[in-house]
Amino acid sequence: MNSTAPVPPPPSSLVAAAGAIDARKTYGIGDAAVHALDGVTVSFEPGRFTAIMGPSGSGKSTLLHCLAGLDSLTEGAVFIGETYLADLNDKQLTELRRKQVGFIFQAYNLIPTLTAAENITLPLMLGGDDGDRTWIDRVIDTVGLRPRLKHKPSELSGGQQQRVAVARALASRPTIIFADEPTGNLDSNSGGEVLQFMRSAVDEFGQTIVMVTHDPYAAAYANRVVFLADGKIVDDMPDPTADKIIDRMKQIGH
Amino acid sequence: MSMVPTLARRSLRARIGRSIFIGLSILAGVAFVAGSFILADSLRGTFDNLIDGLTGDTDLQVRSTLEVDSLDAVRDPLPRELVDEVAAVPGVALAEGSYGRYAQMLDPDGKPVTTQGAPTLGVSWDPDSGLSGVTLKEGRAPQSVDEVAIDKATADRIGFEVGDPIDVILRDGQESFTIVGLVGLGNSDGFVGATTVVWDPASAAELLDDGGTVDTIDMKITEGADIEEVKAAVADVLPDRVEVITGEELGDELKDQVGEIVSIFGTGLLIFALITAFVAAFVINNVYGITISQRLRELALLRAIGASAPQVRRLVLMEALIVSVVATVLGIFGGFGVAQALIGVFNASGGGFPEAPMVFKPMTAVVSAIVGIGVTVFSVLLPAWRASRIPPVAAMRPETGFEALSRRQHLIRGSIMTAVGIGIFVYSILVRPGSGPQWGSLAGLGALSTIFGVTSLSGTFARPVARTIGAPLQRMLGTAGRFARDNAGRSPRRTARTASALMIGVTMITAATVFTASLRDTFTRILEQTTSFDYIVLDDQSFQPLTPEVADRLGALPELSAVSPFRNIRAVAAGDTISVTAVEPTAIAQLADVDVTDGGFDDLVGTGGVMVFRDSAEERGLGLGDSVDVTWQNGVESELTVVGVFGDNSLGANWFVSIEMLESVSTQTPADQFVVAKRADGVTPEVARAAIDTALADFPQATVQTNSEFIEEQEGQINTLLTIVTALLTVAIMFSFVGIAITLALSVFERTREIGLLRAIGMSRRQLRRSVRAEAVIVALFGVAVGIAVGMVFGITLSYAVPNTVIDGITFPWLNLILVVVVAMIAAVVAAAYPAFKASRMNVLEAIATE
Repeated sequence: MNSTAPVPPPPSSLVAAAGAIDARKTYGIGDAAVHALDGVTVSFEPGRFTAIMGPSGSGKSTLLHCLAGLDSLTEGAVFIGETYLADLNDKQLTELRRKQVGFIFQAYNLIPTLTAAENITLPLMLGGDDGDRTWIDRVIDTVGLRPRLKHKPSELSGGQQQRVAVARALASRPTIIFADEPTGNLDSNSGGEVLQFMRSAVDEFGQTIVMVTHDPYAAAYANRVVFLADGKIVDDMPDPTADKIIDRMKQIGH
Repeated sequence: MSMVPTLARRSLRARIGRSIFIGLSILAGVAFVAGSFILADSLRGTFDNLIDGLTGDTDLQVRSTLEVDSLDAVRDPLPRELVDEVAAVPGVALAEGSYGRYAQMLDPDGKPVTTQGAPTLGVSWDPDSGLSGVTLKEGRAPQSVDEVAIDKATADRIGFEVGDPIDVILRDGQESFTIVGLVGLGNSDGFVGATTVVWDPASAAELLDDGGTVDTIDMKITEGADIEEVKAAVADVLPDRVEVITGEELGDELKDQVGEIVSIFGTGLLIFALITAFVAAFVINNVYGITISQRLRELALLRAIGASAPQVRRLVLMEALIVSVVATVLGIFGGFGVAQALIGVFNASGGGFPEAPMVFKPMTAVVSAIVGIGVTVFSVLLPAWRASRIPPVAAMRPETGFEALSRRQHLIRGSIMTAVGIGIFVYSILVRPGSGPQWGSLAGLGALSTIFGVTSLSGTFARPVARTIGAPLQRMLGTAGRFARDNAGRSPRRTARTASALMIGVTMITAATVFTASLRDTFTRILEQTTSFDYIVLDDQSFQPLTPEVADRLGALPELSAVSPFRNIRAVAAGDTISVTAVEPTAIAQLADVDVTDGGFDDLVGTGGVMVFRDSAEERGLGLGDSVDVTWQNGVESELTVVGVFGDNSLGANWFVSIEMLESVSTQTPADQFVVAKRADGVTPEVARAAIDTALADFPQATVQTNSEFIEEQEGQINTLLTIVTALLTVAIMFSFVGIAITLALSVFERTREIGLLRAIGMSRRQLRRSVRAEAVIVALFGVAVGIAVGMVFGITLSYAVPNTVIDGITFPWLNLILVVVVAMIAAVVAAAYPAFKASRMNVLEAIATE
């Protein structure tokens, strides 16, 4: 971390499950430099569902990757719970991803050679942990996958695959789940189902979720929408509805 | 349940085709290596048993001493009276003189029965004494001078049966016999490749010997006698330069000799087996590397959801271990098949090997495991390490591949390895501050380093070279060629590594052919200068020496002005075993120009003189008039005077003495390697040839060649060697094409979307197939081009390393190399068949929809 500013102590976990402090990410140097993140400070409250929106190239995916420890910042800091990611080595980062972070990607979310059940418990088993059986059963029932557990991903529909991915993310009861356009590849019915499961994970289990999306109707499932443009936060909207989001996006110039 | 083994197993099952291919490559490499070990061990075991059977009943053997450790040196015969003297020694129950001499069978058409270099034996056999290992297979033992038994292996091969007549060439000409029995050695039908004619002892003495001699005396001792005491008593009655040994010692000695031959043979096989395994290792390495790039997203996903770097490494390694262990075990079983098949091939060509029970030693398992499991695991270490360093973002950004990782590192590492490799190779081959096998190993190491270096480096120049190679294809094939050219150049590292296995094979072929062709041309050029004879007579079928009768009959012809045999004897001079050639000194000057620089053949007349090749003389500090002490192979000692020095040893002779000299020190039956002759002035070639043919009518094994026929045949023999080496290396090369096929299939799979797009905008299936085939040709030609370049460096260095008398100029075997290029292009088109088919059959809409 090149930041010269003194790093403040991590906020209390009661206040934020994760966040970024003056996060900057620059590709290239000199005139060719592109600022994917240009000083983003944001925190995500525990037990809430936050959506990040913005036009293509606004830096929303980069922010998500950096928050999740998949990519590193050029300057600034990100934290999950009470941990600054920059302080971690690869082994600790792996441990963090396994225990404190859940992921849902747009596509290619599952290991094709494993069954649905195996995919769900994979992060736990990688840590040599059987996990909490009761909890996992509850998750499986919530996402409605019980009859499909022995199927391979290729035998599941896109919506079912994404539900398996949601279940996998929930299985280890992570501090926070990051979702990158989780419904981008789905029709509106399947997408709606997946979003509904994410919503109920927040409401019923108190899960924290941060989701990047293009879709105002998807973002409307969230408690809060953060708008990004040109690597900067331009708006922060509580209790969004689809209409409010669409209006705001027109202003930003989506 | 731990997750990594499950993932590994599932991944292997899901990609079963790839796993099977990698497994087959390992299996084939291991089968070759295990097969050559099993064959060598089995042959050694079988021959050891055979020798035990052969010498089992012989308690003691009396024979002449032999001072040199040389497999082709023959012991002097013993005086016949010695048999009775030895028999009279107390404790000796039975003493029998026996023979193993020249006897060449003729087939029913009057042609010599060939052996490809194995001896053509005539032996004596007393079925009652049980002293020799000969066993009767059919009919009965021969009892009179017109009866013979022959070995069953030869009888089966030629079609002889009991009761048939047979002509046999002996020392003085042909004789006719009736076959009364078929014999074998112990429980084998043959005599290990030798053709064998068997007589009763009295007839053998009459037919094979004229001077009252025997070759060895085999003895049984009386029951209860102490073998060491009897041995000592026998030794007391023996003259100088005759020794007695026990049957056990004889057996051990024979086993050592056979073991030496089997080892040479086994080493030859093993070299090709290891080359095959080496190329297989490259292919395996590439396929792992390429498939791991392909699995990038899956591995990155694992990393993103919490797999640690060591877990990803373990996953990749475990997959390799499972495949290689299974393939190695199967490969060892395959090795038994390879060994059996090789014995079958040798027997089909008249080898007469006994039924060999297969011998499997722990060493075979160890070497197989190193080749199969070791090479595979080593091959995946680097890909596994790289896979574990995949940044997890790669799961979401598929374009983050390996290509960008270390171009500069490849350039630097490749250049260093190539430079150091070539440096070591040239230093250890050309400069060679000392001699010995360690310099050979060092040169091998240098070659290896060069190959790895060039492989690493070739990625950096694959793009421009592939584009240059592709230019004519683009002109020929239009758009299809254009795409092939772009695709070959688009991922230069992949093109380079796909071509690398082929490159290695071509490097070896080029080095071998450049060296051999240079050798051939120098050899024939020097032979043309050296030989001034008009005719040469030799046995070019069984490669056995000629009876002196051939030279005698030619010498009597008035149509020939000069005749000389070339007869070899071994000797020890200043601690080294040397081969001495005896010639007719008065005739040789007309027959061969060996570049005499001091003295001359005139002074070789009589006994006591020796002519020495310049390099041999310099090595020992010998000059004209110096004396040199030699111990002949039979133990006789002479002091020879250097009467001449010569500078050309292309006839294979470094030391010349007169025939008279040789006969004064050796009593063995003379045997001539070949006989050369010159036509007398005024005699036409037709007349001379007719006279020679008439004189040698009794000796159909003796082939007459004119000077130019002889040189052509010598050239032909080196060409045959060249062909055999090329053919064996081609097996290794074929492996590399399977690798090319796999890589192309993977490339096609990766480009599914792009291919769909091309088809959608109007590319025909035909154009698509053509484009894939053209890409294969470009990749193959790239490998061939780099291989030929590196191979030439090796070949030229090797050629400069040998003395000028052996190679004095470089010949580029263009024809062979063009053949390699053509074969590579055809093989590439064949290798592209399946990927091309796959590409052309893709459903356009589905292909485009593929993520």
